[in-house]
Amino acid sequence: MTIDWWTLGLQTINVLVLVWILARFLFRPVTQMITERQAAAHAALDDARAAKAEAEAARAAAKDAAAGVANDRTALLAKARADAEQEKQRLHDEAMTELDTLRADARTEMAQAAKDRQQALSEQAGALALDIAARLIDRLPDEARIAGFIDGLADAVAKLPEATRAAIGDGAPVDLRAARALTDAEKTRLTDRLQAVLGRPVDITVTPDPSLLAGLELDAATAIVRNTLRADLDRIEAEVTRHDG
Amino acid sequence: MTGNLVHIVSILAAALAVSFGAIGPALAEGRAVAAAMDAIARQPEAAGTLSRTLFVGLAMIETMAIYTLVIALLVLFANPFA
Amino acid sequence: MGNPLSLDPLFNIGPVPITAPVVVTWAIIAGLALFSILATRRLRLLPGRTQTLLELIVTTLDGQIRDTMDRDPAPYRPLIGTIFLFVLVANWSSLIPGIEPPTAHIETDAALALIVFAATVGFGISRLGLKGYLATFAEPSWVMIPLNIVEQITRTFSLIVRLFGNMMSGVFVIGIVLSLAGLFVPIPLMALDLLTGAVQAYIFAILATVFIGAAVGDPPNRAKSPKEGTEQ
Repeated sequence: MTIDWWTLGLQTINVLVLVWILARFLFRPVTQMITERQAAAHAALDDARAAKAEAEAARAAAKDAAAGVANDRTALLAKARADAEQEKQRLHDEAMTELDTLRADARTEMAQAAKDRQQALSEQAGALALDIAARLIDRLPDEARIAGFIDGLADAVAKLPEATRAAIGDGAPVDLRAARALTDAEKTRLTDRLQAVLGRPVDITVTPDPSLLAGLELDAATAIVRNTLRADLDRIEAEVTRHDG
Repeated sequence: MTGNLVHIVSILAAALAVSFGAIGPALAEGRAVAAAMDAIARQPEAAGTLSRTLFVGLAMIETMAIYTLVIALLVLFANPFA
Repeated sequence: MGNPLSLDPLFNIGPVPITAPVVVTWAIIAGLALFSILATRRLRLLPGRTQTLLELIVTTLDGQIRDTMDRDPAPYRPLIGTIFLFVLVANWSSLIPGIEPPTAHIETDAALALIVFAATVGFGISRLGLKGYLATFAEPSWVMIPLNIVEQITRTFSLIVRLFGNMMSGVFVIGIVLSLAGLFVPIPLMALDLLTGAVQAYIFAILATVFIGAAVGDPPNRAKSPKEGTEQ
């Protein structure tokens, strides 16, 4: 067996050349292309991932916004409900207040009306009493208008305090008003009674005053002693009115 | 006649080498194929890998027979004593 | 019947005798170079049919290298890929009438095996350094040094003889059958030769990968589990 060394050498060189050629023209470009495609695929994947993340974020934001809208709506509803409640309460309160006021007014008015009516009735009663008294007095004898009142006046003067009593008729005639002009006898009797009560002599001047109906009225400097039918009637009337009011 | 004798012996040696050299690889290939069939029957989804490995293995085993063939050819055509 | 082991020069260039395998190899080189240039002239991101085929070849090659060596295939891709493509095309060149495959002659196989041997040593030294590479001969212990050296030589020879024997026997058998039986009888044998040629190209490339992988040491991530026997 012979080996052709020239052929061996040439084939070695040939294969080495082929290795270089294929490495240069086949493997390098194809590998580069594969690498590029992988890079492109990776980039596309990354892009897709980024886009997906973006979409996720957008969806989350939309969800948040929706939740916010829902919250707002709930809050608005609650507020509106609260407002309505408040308004209702206010209206109710107002109505109640107004009603109360009206009721109080009505009550006041009713009370007033009752009082007025009472007043009127009292006045009418007073007037009627006055009228009756006047007529009664008219029917009584004239003496009766004075005679029954002299003792009463003397008693009233006797009840006055000491200082007041001392001032009556001191230095000046005692001013008396009577329902009619006094007769002399009456005047004397009155003077006597007063002198007895006061313990000293007094002078009296009498002024007739028919409005007294009957009785005497003593006008001192510091006191007025009324002992008249009119005063009695007035007192009764006042008593009735006050009682009602 | 010595040349003729050498030729005769060379031809005999080549025939013996090839015939006996074929026995071992034949048995080995039979075993290999049987084992591969067994494996494929047990795991049909691995048939691709198995058959590829089987072919490579058969080629390896076959190389043994090829070696004897090369020796036989050397004896026949490149006999240093002829 | 001619002697299948001897070569007659076709012509001479100066003192250099040019034989038929050299001429066929030149033709193969020219064809592969032309194909590469034409096929890679217009590469796009969206591949056409040719580009898909090229990328399939390269991707499969990378996958095989990675499976076998457990390393990044980039430094070894040109050598392994070229060996595979060249052996494949050379084996299949017998399809063209009147052409004997260059791998059916021992000089071509020897050249390929020498290149693989040189690459083994070269990659080993570049990866481990001279001392580191030499230290791998003393593994697992110094007793193994002669055995390891013998292994380097014998496996290279087995590489040579495997490819040579397969291809030469194919050519030889076809020649015998053709001379005995006639024109169309050897066609099944030629079909078998195609299969044998493809398988031998694959085996040659894988064995070269295994040798180089063993020379550059254990892969960085896990202990190496040898896929093929390194000795036949």
